[in-house]
Amino acid sequence: MDKVTRKFAGNYRNLALIGDFIIEITSNEGFSGKDVYAIQTAVDEACANIIDHAYQGENIGDIIITLVSFPKYIKIIIEDSGTPFDPDSVPAPDITSPLEIRKERGLGVFFIRKLMDEAIFDFSSPKGNTLTLIKNKRS
Amino acid sequence: MEVISKSLSNYDVITIVGRIDSYSAPSISNMLDSLIQKGHHNIVVDMQDVSYLSSSGILVFLETHRQLLRRGQGRLILTNLSSNIYSILEVAGLETVFNFCDDLQSAEGRFQI
Repeated sequence: MDKVTRKFAGNYRNLALIGDFIIEITSNEGFSGKDVYAIQTAVDEACANIIDHAYQGENIGDIIITLVSFPKYIKIIIEDSGTPFDPDSVPAPDITSPLEIRKERGLGVFFIRKLMDEAIFDFSSPKGNTLTLIKNKRS
Repeated sequence: MEVISKSLSNYDVITIVGRIDSYSAPSISNMLDSLIQKGHHNIVVDMQDVSYLSSSGILVFLETHRQLLRRGQGRLILTNLSSNIYSILEVAGLETVFNFCDDLQSAEGRFQI
């Protein structure tokens, strides 16, 4: 696989199909089970954010996912045509305070940044949001 | 995703099969809420056949855990987690928040009279 692109309608039911797609490609690219799971999580959280925030509802627009394989890493580009999503507007989750006062909002963006080696959020009008994720292959 | 609920003497076992994501989390949330509303406060969630847990699923379990803490009774125990799912909870700093058991038998042992 050098490059593969797939388009999904932006709805929650499709998250399972997107997960299967990511598992199949990244497993074939030689990622460990742990890394496959991490990539699956980052992509799932990104797509759920698109439905929640960029489209603000289901079946408003599509999610286009492109995977490009390089010798040392895989690049995953996730595009939508929704409203701008600014990850910096999402407060980082509080993962250390006592449970009763802890705020977990922003866990999805936190996972994306934590689990991938790079995560670049971009928006251009009229195209929409583009999230580029990089995961290094471990030798 | 499939959810099977079983009421035993003084606890309930919720067995979840498949993915817990933004699509399936609301129905799991409804099931857990309805158990608590009925006064069933001792809950074991068997995750042996859960292949994936997203942040939306984590929030459902956190809210259930919080509700039980507020009521000052009962407990939510997560059991049979895969190493991948446990690792994600560690990334979120939740490994010291939830109650875990390695298997269903030891989880049930905590509630048996």
